[in-house]
Amino acid sequence: MVWDIAKRELYDNLNSLRFALATVLLLGLMLTNAVVHLREHPERVQQYRERVSGHQNHIAAHAESSLYDLAQQGPGDLYKKPSDLRFCAEGGETFMADRAVGGYHRWSTGTLKSFWILTYPSATPNRDNVRPEVTKVDWGFIIGYVLSLVALLFTFDSISGERERGTLRLTLANPIPRHTVLIGKFLGAFISVSIPFILAVLVNLLVISTSSTVHLDAEAWGRLGIIFFVAVLYTCLFLAFGLLVSARVQRSAVSLVILLLVWIVFVVFMPSTLVSIAGRSTSSGPTYDLWERSSKLHGELRRDYSPRRHKEPEGTTKRMEMDGAYVTEDAEQQEQLHEERLTRRIAEVHRARAITRISPVTIVQNLIESFAGTGFERHLQFLENVQTYVREFRTSIVDTDNADPESLHIFGVRTGMSQEPVSPEAVPKFEDTLNLSKDFNTAAMELLLLTLFVLVLLSGAYLAFVRVEV
Amino acid sequence: MLKTLIGRELLDNLMTFRFAAVLLITLLLVVANTVVLVQDYEQRLESYTGAIRTHYQELRAAKTYSTMAILVDRAPNPLSIFNVGLDKRLGNLVGIYHGFMPTLWNAQMHGTDNPFIAFFFSIDIVFIFEVVLSLMGLIFAYDAIAGERERGTLRLVLAQPIGRGQILLAKYISAMACLLVPLTLSLLFALLLLTRSIPLSTADFLRIAGIVFASFAYLSLFYLIGLLISVATRRTGTALMIAMFVWGFLILVYPNLIRATVNPGGDIQARIKIVENRIQQILDEYERERQKFLEKEGIAGETSEFSKALGLHSYAFVDPVTLMSYVENISLISEIHPEFEKYVPSAKRYYSFVEPLSARTVEKTWHIRKQALDEIYVKQAAMDRLLLKFSPVGVYDSATQAWAGTDLKGVRDFFHAARRYRKAVIDYLYAKEAMPSREWFIDDKGAVDWSTLPQFTFQRSNVATNAKRALPDMFLLLICNLVLFMAIVLIFIKSEV
Repeated sequence: MVWDIAKRELYDNLNSLRFALATVLLLGLMLTNAVVHLREHPERVQQYRERVSGHQNHIAAHAESSLYDLAQQGPGDLYKKPSDLRFCAEGGETFMADRAVGGYHRWSTGTLKSFWILTYPSATPNRDNVRPEVTKVDWGFIIGYVLSLVALLFTFDSISGERERGTLRLTLANPIPRHTVLIGKFLGAFISVSIPFILAVLVNLLVISTSSTVHLDAEAWGRLGIIFFVAVLYTCLFLAFGLLVSARVQRSAVSLVILLLVWIVFVVFMPSTLVSIAGRSTSSGPTYDLWERSSKLHGELRRDYSPRRHKEPEGTTKRMEMDGAYVTEDAEQQEQLHEERLTRRIAEVHRARAITRISPVTIVQNLIESFAGTGFERHLQFLENVQTYVREFRTSIVDTDNADPESLHIFGVRTGMSQEPVSPEAVPKFEDTLNLSKDFNTAAMELLLLTLFVLVLLSGAYLAFVRVEV
Repeated sequence: MLKTLIGRELLDNLMTFRFAAVLLITLLLVVANTVVLVQDYEQRLESYTGAIRTHYQELRAAKTYSTMAILVDRAPNPLSIFNVGLDKRLGNLVGIYHGFMPTLWNAQMHGTDNPFIAFFFSIDIVFIFEVVLSLMGLIFAYDAIAGERERGTLRLVLAQPIGRGQILLAKYISAMACLLVPLTLSLLFALLLLTRSIPLSTADFLRIAGIVFASFAYLSLFYLIGLLISVATRRTGTALMIAMFVWGFLILVYPNLIRATVNPGGDIQARIKIVENRIQQILDEYERERQKFLEKEGIAGETSEFSKALGLHSYAFVDPVTLMSYVENISLISEIHPEFEKYVPSAKRYYSFVEPLSARTVEKTWHIRKQALDEIYVKQAAMDRLLLKFSPVGVYDSATQAWAGTDLKGVRDFFHAARRYRKAVIDYLYAKEAMPSREWFIDDKGAVDWSTLPQFTFQRSNVATNAKRALPDMFLLLICNLVLFMAIVLIFIKSEV
């Protein structure tokens, strides 16, 4: 019986204007998305490859010179690997740096040179950008905004419309329990919304996978499957909400007005308003502030060390040890300064993201981002990769130095360290990776939250429909 | 007759659920966001006053002319609450130096600049209107004719001795009267909240009036679009669906689609490279003349000793992204060794030769650079704007930005002022005969007195300029309204009941 009702709904919808319009809209958007991705992605991948080989050449050049050189210059720029699924979620990638810099030099005096530190440059594309601000057409936008709107347009009159026409009485006069009617209607609307969406997704993936320049591996397809599942769950949320309002309201015009206004508030305005509230308490301070603090810190350290250093005559071990301590302490201090700022900034974003989770569209966009391997969680993963690598790099330098019997093992000074060239193969190279299980951990909470929303709304719709008078 | 019709329509519209819902939502959104926006503005203002204070102290801390650090700040625009435009996005702090031409691409940010936060979309009152008013207009219009046709009342009305144009006019007037209620009420609340904490001038009120007028035209445009759909369709269901999809397309999809279709020209890097090379040539020319002077002075051979005596850091470079050319000759010494005292006359001559030269050099590069920046950055933005205008949202947005002064022209006004101020500073330095003086490079005979330095002032452009910039878009909005109304009348006259 459920299936009969669903079928009737489906036939009703398939012939309707909204079905045609929704199909055209979704197809057009998905096609645009695919074309843009094909145009931009190969360039991105190419650029990443060039940069990685640049990083390797950088290491090789310094390794062949000497161990001191490598230890002083650092591993150079470390680049973030672009995700193959960037078309699913743009994820504000332009606002996040595509690299971490492992070789930031500040000063040199005589024989001493500052050691490299790991810094996190910030990408501020907007400061130079005078073009109007728009979002990219990615799956996140299509699903989050367009698909949810379509779902509402398919359900706003599914019960109130029948009530207006009087057919609801007829249906309920048959020996069918109300929940069966509701489930039938839900399924009917669900299938009618899914058809244009699946069609659009298939066209999108067809265009992307037939191209010779972009390759999707097995893992990427798995991720796409999860993203599709998230989209389905999200659609269910809005279908359930549409049914709920439609069951409670007498006229379908009123139902649509309510649905649209709620949609506008929750989907369009809620995320930005909440962020403006959360973002006001920012504490990380401007960039030039960092420079000031950095030079102040270094100045203090120099005042502390200079008199003591100059007491020791040049060339003695004592002097070298002093110099080495000065250089390494400076590097540690400065790196910590940068890291503290990064931590503060991340905390700010975490706060903002926690608040915006009230809006379902933010949840779904976060989810798509984390499975597509873009966005903020991915950036954190990249930073973690970088930090792991940096530890590895430093350990390898120490180990190589210890292995050289000629070296005095005094860090930070040229004469105190191994002068032997290092084989470039022995130095660890940075390779950025994406890890699905890590993504899933961060996403699990949001997935559960979304499921919870769907369940609450579905049971709400059920209660509303069971108790309503026809 | 017209009056009776208007009265009927007015009652019909006012007593509906949609009116109450729309009123409530508009008020709620506008008030909630205004509170947030006002606080945000106050925070930015605080950061601005703080920045001014620090920059003033920094200037005082400079003991010699060659180490002077003049930084000027852009105040936040109070009307950015209505349309934030580029006000929050672009840099608001730029250095003034004779060897450097300030543009918005060299500006820095005072206040926090967490780039991660930037990817959350920022909101303003005009954005709320863009979304809500357009939906309102369509919801009020979709059943205006189609509904009456369905119910059969259209026949009744047309049986009366009244022109079809008049019926439409009555519907238009009454619906607009209703729709103006949420618009004006929410604006009044917003103004109430605004004026409580932000003092607005008369000019600002005029600008706000311009924004209100633009909002009115925008609302009317969407009502007319809805009316057109209603006249052209037989059933309200169809009209509603078409209206919703038109709304979704114009508001949601189209503005985001243009970025996908317009690809920035791929040869930008090559063009930048060419300009960079030309600027580099000018800088090389500068360096040659500088060397020639040093030779003529007889200090070239012992350049290193001369530089060391002065702690001279001299460089000229061009930035490959923003094409900024920067020429600097800075002396970082706190005292002159007695045996180097002989270089002081040469140093005076050196500075009075090289500083005017560097000012002239960057002015020369400026002509090339300005053109290149316009071609590379501004042209694209203008193209985007133009494409956006195929949707009423784009026109409305441009018009209100122009009124608020947060559009590109408004922000660039500040940098014009900064360049004028640079000129004033140079004139001041000439008038004080600072370059041939000892204080230019050393403060052992007393630090520089900065109290007579001209102050930087920047006034936002006057209302007339704002109006002139908004005029084309306002005109476009009105023309669209007129054309649509005529089209509706024509279709309605020719349609069967």
